[in-house]
Amino acid sequence: MKKVKWFFNIEKEEQWLNEQLQKGFRCTGVSGFGIYTFDKTEKQYVMRLDYQDNLPKDKLQEYKGIYEDFGWNYVKGSWLSGIRYWQKEEGNQNEIFSDRESKGKYYKRLMGYSFWMGMLCFALSYMIYKDLSGFYHDGLWNMEGALFWYALLFETPFVLVKLSPVMLAILFASNFYSGYRNYSVLAEK
Amino acid sequence: MKHKLLPLSETMHYILLALREPLHGYAVMQEIEEMSNGSVILAAGTLYGAIENLNKHGWIEVVGNSGRRKVYKITAEGSTVLKLEQQRLLHILSLYEGSE
Repeated sequence: MKKVKWFFNIEKEEQWLNEQLQKGFRCTGVSGFGIYTFDKTEKQYVMRLDYQDNLPKDKLQEYKGIYEDFGWNYVKGSWLSGIRYWQKEEGNQNEIFSDRESKGKYYKRLMGYSFWMGMLCFALSYMIYKDLSGFYHDGLWNMEGALFWYALLFETPFVLVKLSPVMLAILFASNFYSGYRNYSVLAEK
Repeated sequence: MKHKLLPLSETMHYILLALREPLHGYAVMQEIEEMSNGSVILAAGTLYGAIENLNKHGWIEVVGNSGRRKVYKITAEGSTVLKLEQQRLLHILSLYEGSE
């Protein structure tokens, strides 16, 4: 069974995945375009998401090796994203972090990722918008009647594309903030 | 200023103590479970991060392989850290005794 769903927040993604597992499924694949593949199963599974970007080959091997020794199975995710999907049968130890220090570091990794992606989008937006004349589509507003509507429809996708870096920057900023909140709550406990 | 891993967290402390013997990652977790009478059970991500961190600071090192697993052991620098932590904790314990 395939399900398509887009997430921008790793914690919400983890929560949704576990809701699917609760219904008697097992995740067998995650693709970059938000396509999740599940199998029906009699057993009860749990999934935990970690964030680790750009692990060199030997470190990745060590990383996977330790998780697998603990009974976690690596569910292949998109090569582009640093999200690591781990799944195992429910048991005594269903968490991947057992102390506050390591959980805090996980939030810090997420914050670092959101920060740099946000900055990248911000820089991209700046490059697009510093020449504002291109953004207002002057010709469009002088048109009348049906021609105006056709032109508006035609221009809308271009405007959306131009706006997307700003929208992404906002999403990354909100992710950064939610990572920061989780981190500070953890530090206060 | 003090080293950023000092004073040692419970996780780091137990890992350094366990690695006075050469062990691979999963065996470290098992050893710690036994040493702590079942009160400290490390999870995979926590153990991986801690081993990476201790290795980066040169307090433990890879001394061989057991199949595909890397085997780690404490370094001389790591042993010095344990010695200092022992003195610190002994002093704190002596303060407990003084108040009785």
